[in-house]
Amino acid sequence: MTYYLTTVLVYAGVDALACLAISLQFGVSGIVNFSFIIFQAAGAYTAGVLSMPPDTANGGFQTYILGLNLPFPLPWIGATVVGALLAPPIGLVVLRRLRSDYQAIAMLVLSVIATLVVTNTPPFLDGAAGLALVPQPLANLLDPSSAGYEWAYAAATVVLAAIVFVIAQRIINSPYGRSLRAMRENELAANALGKNSVALKMSVFVVGGAIAGLSGAILVGFITTWAPSTWLYPETLILFAAVIVGGRGNNYGAVLGALLVPVGFEEATRYIPPFGPPGLIPAFEWVCIGGLILGFLWFRPRGVIPERRRVFRVAAAKQPEEERGAG
Amino acid sequence: MPVEADAVANRRDAGGEAAPTSVALLQARGVSRHFEGMHAVEDVSIDVQPGRITGLIGPNGAGKSTFLAVLAGTLPASSGTIIFDGTDVTRMPAFQRARRGLVRTFQLPSEFAQLTVLENLMTAAPDNRGDSLIGALLGRRYWGVDEDRLVMQARVLLDRFRMSAKESDYAGSLSGGQKRLVEIMRSLMLRPRLLLLDEPMSGVHPSIVGEIASYCEALRDDGLTILIVEHELHMIERLCDPVIVMAQGHVIGQGTMTFLRQQREIVDAYLVG
Repeated sequence: MTYYLTTVLVYAGVDALACLAISLQFGVSGIVNFSFIIFQAAGAYTAGVLSMPPDTANGGFQTYILGLNLPFPLPWIGATVVGALLAPPIGLVVLRRLRSDYQAIAMLVLSVIATLVVTNTPPFLDGAAGLALVPQPLANLLDPSSAGYEWAYAAATVVLAAIVFVIAQRIINSPYGRSLRAMRENELAANALGKNSVALKMSVFVVGGAIAGLSGAILVGFITTWAPSTWLYPETLILFAAVIVGGRGNNYGAVLGALLVPVGFEEATRYIPPFGPPGLIPAFEWVCIGGLILGFLWFRPRGVIPERRRVFRVAAAKQPEEERGAG
Repeated sequence: MPVEADAVANRRDAGGEAAPTSVALLQARGVSRHFEGMHAVEDVSIDVQPGRITGLIGPNGAGKSTFLAVLAGTLPASSGTIIFDGTDVTRMPAFQRARRGLVRTFQLPSEFAQLTVLENLMTAAPDNRGDSLIGALLGRRYWGVDEDRLVMQARVLLDRFRMSAKESDYAGSLSGGQKRLVEIMRSLMLRPRLLLLDEPMSGVHPSIVGEIASYCEALRDDGLTILIVEHELHMIERLCDPVIVMAQGHVIGQGTMTFLRQQREIVDAYLVG
């Protein structure tokens, strides 16, 4: 039971991080980053190869680069940095010249290409088999199989998610966040008002990439394996569904969406008794995810917790009050 | 063949007072914009004198809005030179031109629909330390003073344009005319030197057309230079000196409206009726 609860908590934290990143990029800034899962994967692989010993260890049953055996928290920091550093090259190719609909397609294609490249170059990150036996943080000091360790891991995940939540709140409630929202509403007009939309997009792309990288590091540290099958492009669509359901451009909505869709929905369907041909239930899950997206876009496009209207006080212009947006 | 203006519009029409000659705030020289062989704007040269409202008129498809977009940097020029306030801005992106004081509005309403009216104005305000990623992360203590100052500034504008009551409304919920006013106020937050207005009166209730015209006059009297593209000729006549006429991508004449009405080519091209 402990393992189940801590696993749900860790996944909730990781998904909340991912949804916060997507909400900043998509919900606040209007960037349809269908390659999001690449950033999470880059973080997971980075944390893996930084914390693992050289690939000659364990009988050399897997091949990968680096294998630096770095102590915690360096692999997690490295994962966050790599997630951030991956953003500029992708952003410079995709975000500078393409219109947003083409950006989405280009991102999706990038995601597919990345999976194929990693799968077909085994010396790089062990190909389709992926990394296994990734050391858990502080495993040399603590017993990772103990309940205490699992609870501590879950607590650390929740604390990190909370810190990122505060950062995301600072961003969306600032003048910078307002510029991001203006760019989302009308990029040409924002440019005409002195906003450098390329710089705005790149900056939020880097922030999202860093958060995604961290989320990948947390996840791989918990499950200790990482392979291309865990980061196929549909994973991104689940996270988008979560943000659409929870409420775009609202960090509370992003967290709620993470709890409702990737965690709640998947946990709920886990208990459906098997029926029909093999693979029917997982396929039906995808149908439901698609239905969720369509249903919300049709009936409640702003999500369960919509983006909030910023109302400035009349007398003294202090912190803008946040008022629930009207439908 | 362009009709030569009476001293390129350095004086008002008959009976009007003479306006002083001054160095142009904006000079366009031989500006062209081509779209895959289609010459939307071809070899256009104009001067925009400071402290005046210059009109840009012409039939649909004349290239007026394209030319305005090229001046603002929304579209790059295929050839030619644009000098703004003594600086060559031809290759400068739109956001940099805006920061230098060359600010435009759009032909179609371009409000930030899901932002409130006050937020629309605040977005345009320069010099806010919170308008960067680092500034945002440092928190309100870092940028709060700037924000408070700019809220006050925005409220003065809202008051002047009699839009205070709409401050907290979503801009997307406003009427067409109110959206136009928001766009103008938003531009003013940038403290522009030259305001490019692209058909600010189109699709607007007649009562607000007069209001917008009055605001333009007041802004001109405050020293703001305006270049306005508009089809409402009676408003152009009321506001503008000089008026530039474009047709098929070319400037075909400029001068006062009285002068232009006397030119057969221009009457045939645009002013019939």
